[in-house]
Amino acid sequence: MAFSRSRFRHALAVPILLSALVPRLPGGQSLQRAAAETNVNQQYVIESVSISGAQLDDSENANLPGALRERLNSLVGARCDMNVLNEVSDQLRRELHLRAVSQRLLRGSQPGRIRVNFEIERRPASFDIAVPKFLYHSEQKFSGEVDAIVRAAHNSLTLGVTSNGDDLTERFTGVAVRYENSRLGTDRVRFGIEFDDFHEQWRPSTVATAQEEGGVDLYHARRNFAPEFTFVLARPLTVSVGASFEQMESRIPGQPDESANAITAGLRYNREFEDAAFQQQFGASYSLRAGTRALGSDYPYSRHMFTVRYEFRSGKQLAREEFLGGMIAGYAPMFERFVLGSSETLRGWDRYVIDPLGGTRVVHNSIAYGYQIREGTAEVFYDAGSLWEPTRQAKLRHSVGIAYRQGIFVLTMAFPVVEGRIAPVFMAGMNY
Amino acid sequence: MTRRKLIVALAGAGSCCALARGVSAGALAARLDGDYLRITAPHLNFLSGRPLERLKDGQSVAFIGQLTIAPSLNSVVVQARSVARFAFSYDIWEERFSVTKMGERPEARHSASHLSAAQAENWCLDNLAIDRSAVPSDQPFYVQLDLRAEDPRDQIGIIGDPGINITRLIELFGRPARSAQPRWLLNSGPYRLADLKKSEVRSTRG
Repeated sequence: MAFSRSRFRHALAVPILLSALVPRLPGGQSLQRAAAETNVNQQYVIESVSISGAQLDDSENANLPGALRERLNSLVGARCDMNVLNEVSDQLRRELHLRAVSQRLLRGSQPGRIRVNFEIERRPASFDIAVPKFLYHSEQKFSGEVDAIVRAAHNSLTLGVTSNGDDLTERFTGVAVRYENSRLGTDRVRFGIEFDDFHEQWRPSTVATAQEEGGVDLYHARRNFAPEFTFVLARPLTVSVGASFEQMESRIPGQPDESANAITAGLRYNREFEDAAFQQQFGASYSLRAGTRALGSDYPYSRHMFTVRYEFRSGKQLAREEFLGGMIAGYAPMFERFVLGSSETLRGWDRYVIDPLGGTRVVHNSIAYGYQIREGTAEVFYDAGSLWEPTRQAKLRHSVGIAYRQGIFVLTMAFPVVEGRIAPVFMAGMNY
Repeated sequence: MTRRKLIVALAGAGSCCALARGVSAGALAARLDGDYLRITAPHLNFLSGRPLERLKDGQSVAFIGQLTIAPSLNSVVVQARSVARFAFSYDIWEERFSVTKMGERPEARHSASHLSAAQAENWCLDNLAIDRSAVPSDQPFYVQLDLRAEDPRDQIGIIGDPGINITRLIELFGRPARSAQPRWLLNSGPYRLADLKKSEVRSTRG
């Protein structure tokens, strides 16, 4: 029987060893890419592209995002690159929140030409947990957000937990609940409503400066209720209008709550241009938040912000230009004030050295040059910007740095240009 | 086959965690071809089912194959091994198959095209050869072929523009081997090198 037991153990061990061995073989995603490169159909030219049998101009595809539509259109007339088709499938699945997308090649109208049909599989309802942002900043420490998302048809409900010390003067920690309907009667109208409940933490330098200057209200909690409608005017251009009802609890016990109720509006334009030799992305936005006593606001103000972004890619190289300008008129609450020295602006600078209270005027520009190395891109960047008050003189500040991006992951080393010393700041995370 | 061997074989097949298909007597045969030991599997049709559907949709399908030589049928000791990765595609205009054996570098690849399904499968098996010098010359040995289709779904959906999708990550690590992932496991033997040499001579003369 001893012999039999030994043989039996061997019989069990072999399949287990094989199962363990084979997945460890080198390959994975690179094998999939390499396999796609050898596809014999790459010799053919794409004649047309459809989604579940419907052409891109058909009404079934009227609500495709502009950038995605541009990308799908750019496939027509090009050689059938299977890796590109796989990427487009993945983009479709991500952006349209689909269960699965696969491409099917069909014979075209004449030899040498093919038709590509993306077969999509919708989710009746889905539940996801996602980490849309995570950042470690050597000065500001951690910022992050975790979202639980339920989607059904055109509706989505998101419950997010966040702690953010990067975007505002204060660190805000709490929950955000968002409901979105991406098709309100028509593909051209979307509706969203958000409720936030945040607790605030202030740096001692902010508290000291607020006490010194007076007239600044530092709240210890705030709640926001913000409905918004978005209208698709033309595919790359959207307009949004809404309101924001924000209530703030004072840090001083016994003080009544304050309201910053505002009308909100925004204009966005995003366009992608793609050619065999280059890719360009252009985006611009304008946003307005106007606090008015007509809505019961204790803060009458208007906040205007403009952004412009342009990116050019050719081969392994990329160049990027980003501009931000903003102005606040009137008396605005702290969360509306502009900040420089974040993970996206004047990288490397300590925002509390620039102004511990933030500012009501801002201009910032960032230029970057990148070169693709393996799967990622190494970048050098130069940031310049100024944050000021109308009663103070504006001072231009600069910073330089290097970054390595791979997908959504970014590592950054930034150096503020300060006379007499070099104090690098390190940042790591994703989607910042 | 003795009763004991049958129990051992059944236990081995039963404990296989992925679905292994088609282990039948005479399904796998070894032969000597010049400096190599090669296999034939006339009843093995792995270009079938879901992989074939994907190919006929114009997609690429990757297979990983492993050929091993062992002293007994289910031995954990492997005396020689050949592992290769193959990428198949199907020309939707010519309705013929193309197959590429993937190398570490693009220049190390080699391919065959304009093949029928059976020709493509045989080309794949012919390229899973073991060097003759690695075959034991003084003892019997068994040959095993383990072939499985790569599942591209394992690499998608975890990382995307919205960030890391924790749900997909949990799904991936919490899931056993995909039941739909095609796998073929074939054994044959025992062989003796001397016997294979005789048949090689016969076939050369014949």
